[in-house]
Parts: sequence; structure tokens; C-alpha cells
Amino acid sequence: MKKIFLILLSLAFFTACERKIDTFTVSSGTANFKKYISIGNSLVAGYADGALYTTGQKYSTPNLIAGQLQLAGSGAFVQPMVKSEYGVDFPGSAYRLVLGPSTDCKGVTSLGPVPLIGAKDPLLPNVGYAVNNFGVPGAKSFHMLAPHYGDPALLALGKANPYFCRFAQTAASSVLQDAMAASATFFTMQLGDNDVLSYALSGGMDTITSPAFFGTVMGGVLQGLTSNHAQGVIANIPDVTSIPFFTTVPYNGLVLARQSLVDSVNYAMSVFHLPFTYHLGQNPFLIPDPTSVLPFKVRQMVAGELVLLTVPQDSMKCYGMGIVRAIPPQLPYPIPKQFILTLEDIAKLKTATAAYNEIIKGLAANFKLGLVDLNTRMNELQSGIVWDGIALNAQFVTGGAFSLDGIHLNPRGCALSANFFIDAINKQYGSTIPFVDITKYPGVIFP
Amino acid sequence: MRKVTLLLLCIFITALNSFAGGYQVGLHSTRNIGMGLIGTSLSYDASALFYNPGGAPFIDSKFSISGGATFLMARATYQSQDQVYQEHMNHDMNYPFYFYFAYKPIKDLSIGLAVNTPYGLSMSWPDTWQGRYLIQSVKFSAVTIQPTVSYKFKDIVGIGAGFVISYGNVTLSKAVPISGSGNTDGQANIKGSTVKYGYNIGVMVHPIKKLSLGIDYRSRIDMAVKDAKAEFTVPVSVATKFPNMNVDVTLPLPANLDFGISYEIGEKWMIGLGLNYVFWNVYDSLAFDFKTPTPNTTSVASHQASAKLYTNRLITRLGAQYKINPMFTVRAGGYYDPTPIPSDRLDPMLPGSNEIGLTCGLSIYPTKGLSIDASFEYLMGSERSGISSPDENGSHNFAGTYSTVFYMPGIGLTYNF
Repeated sequence: MKKIFLILLSLAFFTACERKIDTFTVSSGTANFKKYISIGNSLVAGYADGALYTTGQKYSTPNLIAGQLQLAGSGAFVQPMVKSEYGVDFPGSAYRLVLGPSTDCKGVTSLGPVPLIGAKDPLLPNVGYAVNNFGVPGAKSFHMLAPHYGDPALLALGKANPYFCRFAQTAASSVLQDAMAASATFFTMQLGDNDVLSYALSGGMDTITSPAFFGTVMGGVLQGLTSNHAQGVIANIPDVTSIPFFTTVPYNGLVLARQSLVDSVNYAMSVFHLPFTYHLGQNPFLIPDPTSVLPFKVRQMVAGELVLLTVPQDSMKCYGMGIVRAIPPQLPYPIPKQFILTLEDIAKLKTATAAYNEIIKGLAANFKLGLVDLNTRMNELQSGIVWDGIALNAQFVTGGAFSLDGIHLNPRGCALSANFFIDAINKQYGSTIPFVDITKYPGVIFP
Repeated sequence: MRKVTLLLLCIFITALNSFAGGYQVGLHSTRNIGMGLIGTSLSYDASALFYNPGGAPFIDSKFSISGGATFLMARATYQSQDQVYQEHMNHDMNYPFYFYFAYKPIKDLSIGLAVNTPYGLSMSWPDTWQGRYLIQSVKFSAVTIQPTVSYKFKDIVGIGAGFVISYGNVTLSKAVPISGSGNTDGQANIKGSTVKYGYNIGVMVHPIKKLSLGIDYRSRIDMAVKDAKAEFTVPVSVATKFPNMNVDVTLPLPANLDFGISYEIGEKWMIGLGLNYVFWNVYDSLAFDFKTPTPNTTSVASHQASAKLYTNRLITRLGAQYKINPMFTVRAGGYYDPTPIPSDRLDPMLPGSNEIGLTCGLSIYPTKGLSIDASFEYLMGSERSGISSPDENGSHNFAGTYSTVFYMPGIGLTYNF
């Protein structure tokens, strides 16, 4: 009996023990993370789902990075918090989008992004405290240097940015001045996306910042940020045309389901003297072509051209947009140019982005900063990646990384992006900052 | 008391590394477990039906019955490679068991039945752990029934063959990364069972009385579970994209080619060597084929469908037995089992590493022919680092370090009469 007790006792001893493994060791390497700031555009601010709102800010990429840097002795990370889950209130501001049912002009109810209506946070007064996150939605590179960019008096003139008005230290401040006044030891910067993106979002109506000017401005911003010997990493510019905002609606999304429909469209085209032939199934949309010698100055879209996510779906489904107007006068009804990127537009965007990225690479080297190659990372996301068991890609809604505006990342995507920054920080400074656990962050929320 | 000391000693000297290769269990006879799991050249009892059917006619009694079970306890810890995250595997208990009955109607002929659990895998991690999108719990077991016939020629050569009927049962659950309101996860559960067939053939040779040589081949079994049930729990708005459906699960059980040699030194000692070649390369994939796949279910399955790319491995075993007196027999042994799992497929479902097992055992004979058998096997895992799938195209799928240990006390009864 005693023997059996002894055996059981020894078993109990062994089975009680858990296996021991050394835990992760956090270190700063050659970096000083004592005071961390972030600077840039909406991708920095935590903008998501078409709005800046409390939860989106909590999941902002810099806030997630800050959480990890704090393990290496970084101080508090203060963001200019929006006190609403619906957005910031200023003329023309949108409500945050959520997934919900909506009914289209044909009476079909489906799941898609719908505005979440509620009380937005008033734009003013200014938050009244110093911040660490200098992300300004809508800001282009040169806006960082613009004085009075957060001056409420200039809002109506379009010379100030509403989001910067919320946290500018003085009416005369530029974003860079305020950021420099923070005396950071470490910064991350994600800037320059809007210099191409606003052109893309306007269907080629806005301007693309010239690479020469871009280089000067970015150099100036980095000069300022590093003037107190702050260290940091800067991100390059992903190919904006690969985000779901541009890749969700196909160029040939005009579906003709019945032969009678095909016949009547082909008949109409012959009447209009337009040499376009339509077939059963998918057909290219009609778009304006100012250089065309054809009547109505229209043409069919070609493969590679992009339709913006904001194209009015009901006009396409029920009123003939993209083909022939459904109500008199029944004439060719091209999709307005503001919703289209042509091959020419796309080439301009790609050329500018490539030039920007060469500049950013050079500046990172000159200022001895780490480079976050978001361009490559986002290309990889295009073809799909697996991170800790989560399959992610750049598809709208189902891809799991982008938020419902099709431009900005959702919390899970922000966590992924934060890891890209942390990876670059560790490589540049020999630090061991742990990755963000992306499994803790939600993707798009399904009702 | 001395035997207990021996037993404890053999536990304590195992400051060695390692952990289980694949999902082949190997715990088929309490006596043989005590000797480093050798058995291919042994014919002391009815467990020969499984280890080498060619050995059954050499059993020195008309009837032999042997049965028992092992209490398989695993402890594993996971440490993320690049995050401040550590987790312990749940304390699941597995019970591999065996029952053998051999009967010699005439001197040189043996017929028998073997029932045991040659393959199995059962482990779970906390439901909310970081690897939940890869695995929460998996339970796979194959119970085999093997009717066997053997014959020996002139007490020198024995041959035997068994027909293997294998009942396989699989359940698997994992979280699905679809967020519902309140940041909840979706859930996937797969459950199914099947019956498949194989064979077990062996030859045993006694060139001289004290020396025994054995060779045995157990066939591969294609454990394809047709029409397992897959159930998804996802937010109601996407429920139609994740319909509950049938799924075919394929988990091939590898073939084994075993060789054994053993020698009796005097009346008290026996020493043996075993070589166990496992054809792991059949485990190309644990595949899930959804019958009505949607892009969503495919992405859930993609992780498992990826090739596991196991390679064939040779396990080397050594064991010895010492009869202290007619009442007590003690045993000890050990083996080396290199893992078939490459480090870029190291998955929380089966975090294997090279394995050194140390075992010991004891039989008590209250009367002649009847023994109460006990064994203890200890596998202490070295740390092994790896990743669930290769870092390709920006993927980074669960890189980390695992450390695992197994405690396997076993008991059994054997009666030769």
C-alpha cells in the first residue's frame, strides 16, 4: 500500500508542473521611446468606416504601436479623442458606417455599409490638451507646414482642416510646429498618401502633388521632426488603386440577364450610331470620353479601369447609369467621370506613387530613419496572407482587413499595420518590441 | 520497496529532451511499454498478436489473455516568438487501451483477437487562446479489431497474419475569425466517424532457443471520414454563407515496418532491440473537403488543407527485463523517436519534436501464469520552435516555441493458462 502511495505521490508531483519556457524579453535596442508621437494623415488618426469616432481612435495604428512601446518604457500616448461613436460634426461630415440591411431601388434588401445615425461630437471647442497623435484626416504632405491649418476662423474658407481645429495648440499653428513642440524622442510618420489618394478619390479631378514639391515638403517635415535628434520610422505609400474602394465594383459590372434586353440595348446603340456590341452576362459600363469622335462622346470601359465604391448604385440598378437612361430622354447614360479612374489616371497615380516612394526611401536613409515598406506589405495583402490563423486579403468586407469605407483599415487591419511598423522599428534600432496580438482585435463587425 | 526505488529512479534519470512524433500512440502492452515499447521479437503473451502475429504460436500456454490501459497525460506550453504571450495546453487525459486473446487449438497453430488503439491524438487549448483560429481542440482516435491466425514450423519459424478493422472517430473545433457584435468569434465544429480496413503480417524466427528475431508489417489505413458533420456558428447576417454541411476528412494512418531482436541471458535476463520504421510521408495532409464549399468555408479549412509534408522516420528502441524471483519481474527501456514534423509546419494541433522516451515496468505474479503489470513512460520535451505554415508572401502564421512532456502510467493484467 505504501508503495502505491509513493507512486501516486510522485505522479501528482510531476503532473502538477507546467512546462517552463523563457518569456519574451522586451528591449529598446538603440532607440529611446520615452516620448512617442505619430504624425500624418487619416491612417494615423484612426479614421475608419468613413468617420473619426471613439472606438476607431482607440484602435488607431499609432495607439496600438504606443501600447507596445510602453512595454519598453514609453510614456502615455494621448490622442485628441472624439467623444462620439458616430463621427465629428461639421458641415459635410458623414456618419460612421456599420454593416446593416438596406433596401435598394428594386426592393431587394441586402447587407452592406449603412450610416449609423446618432449624435456626432461637435467640432469645437478644441480638446484643450497636448496630444501625441498628430494624425490629421485629409492632410496632404504640404499641409503639415501650413500655418493656421487648425484655425477655426478659416474653416469656412476651406483653408483650415476641421480635424486639426480640434487639437491645434494655437490658431496659427502648423501641424509640424505642434508636433515639434511635443519634443518627442521617437516618432512614426505616415504621410503623403493623400497627395495621390485625393486625386484617385475624385476620379482624377483633384491634383497630384508633384514629386519635386513632395520631396521638398517631406524633407522639411523630417528636418523639423529630427531637429531634436528624435528617432523614428516612416512609411512609404501603398498603391492606392489596390484598395477596396477602387476594386469592388467591376468595370464590366453591367449584367444583361436576358437576350431580349441584349437585343434592345444593341438596337439602341445602333440608333445612337455607337459601335458597341453587348452580350448576355457581364458588359463594360459606358463612361464619358471627351476626346472621342463618336456621338455623345462616350466609350466602354476597358479591363484595368476602376469604378469607385461611391458610384450611385441605385442609378446603375434602376436608372440605366452606365448604359442607357431608363427614363426619357432615353439617351446614353455614362457613369460620371468623378466615379471612374481610367487607365491614364491610374498610370499617373502609379508613376507619382513610385516617385514618392523613391523619395521616401532616400529621406529615410538621409535622416537615418527606419522605412516601413507598406507598399510591399499591401501588395502581399492583395494576394492574401495568413497571420496567426487569420486569413486576410484586400477584398471589401470579406477580406477582413479594411473598414467599411474601403480605404482605411479596420481594427484587425490596424493591428497588422502596427506590426509592420514594429518590425521596421526592431530592424532599424535592434530593439525587441513585441508584436501586437492581432487576434485580440475585431474585423468588420457582422450583425 | 527496492522495486519502487528502481521505478522512481528510472523516472528521475530522465532529464532528457523531447515529445511525441506524429499521432501514433504506441502504448499497446503494459509489459512492453516497460521495455521501451519493444515487442516485435517477443512472444511472452497475447500482445504478440499485435506486435508480431508470427510470434503468437510461440506463446508457452494454450490460452493467453492480456488487457490494460494507459493514462496518457500531456503538459505543453506555448510561447509566442514575437509577442508577450504564453499559454498552457489544457490538462486532457487520454486512455489508450488494449485487449488481446490468443488460443492454440493445436500446438503450432494460434488464433486470436487483438483490440487496441494504435493511433490517436487528443488535445485542447483554452477556447479563447491566441491560436484559437488554428485549433481549439482536436480529438482523433482509431480503435482497431484484429482477428489473427498464426502458424509455426518446428519451433523455429512462425508466421501470422491479421485482418485489421479500424474504427476512426474525429472531432475538431476552432474559432472562425468572423466578428459579431460584442467582438465575438465565430465557431466551427467538425465531427465524424468511419470504419476502414488493413492488415498486419509478421514473421518470427528462433534460430536458437534463446534468440528471437521478428519482422512485422502493419499496413497503412486510409482513414477517410466521409460525410463528417461541419457546423458553423457565425453572426446571423452571414449564416447563409456558412451553411452546416457534410465534410470529408482524410487522415491516413501510416504503415509501420518493425524489426526486433531479443536474447535471453540465463534464466533471469532478457534484452531486446527494436527498429520501427514509420511511413509518415502518407500524412501529406489532414484534408477537409467541404461538400458544398463556399469561399468562406474554404478559407476556414485552408489551414488544415495545407500539406503537412511529414517524412518517414526510424524509431530505435532498447529494452530489458529482469526476473527477480517467481513473484517479481522488473523492466526498463528507452527509445528515440525523431519527429516527422518539419519546423515550418509546427502547429498547435500537434506540436511534436524529437523524442526520447524512458520507460520502466513491473509485473507481480500472485500465482503462476497471472501477472499484474504496471509501467511508467516518461517523455520530456525539449523546446522546439517553428511556425504553423511557412513565412511566404508576408504571411506570419503562429510562430512560437513549444515545450511538452508526457506522463504515461499504465496498468494491465496478463493471464497465460
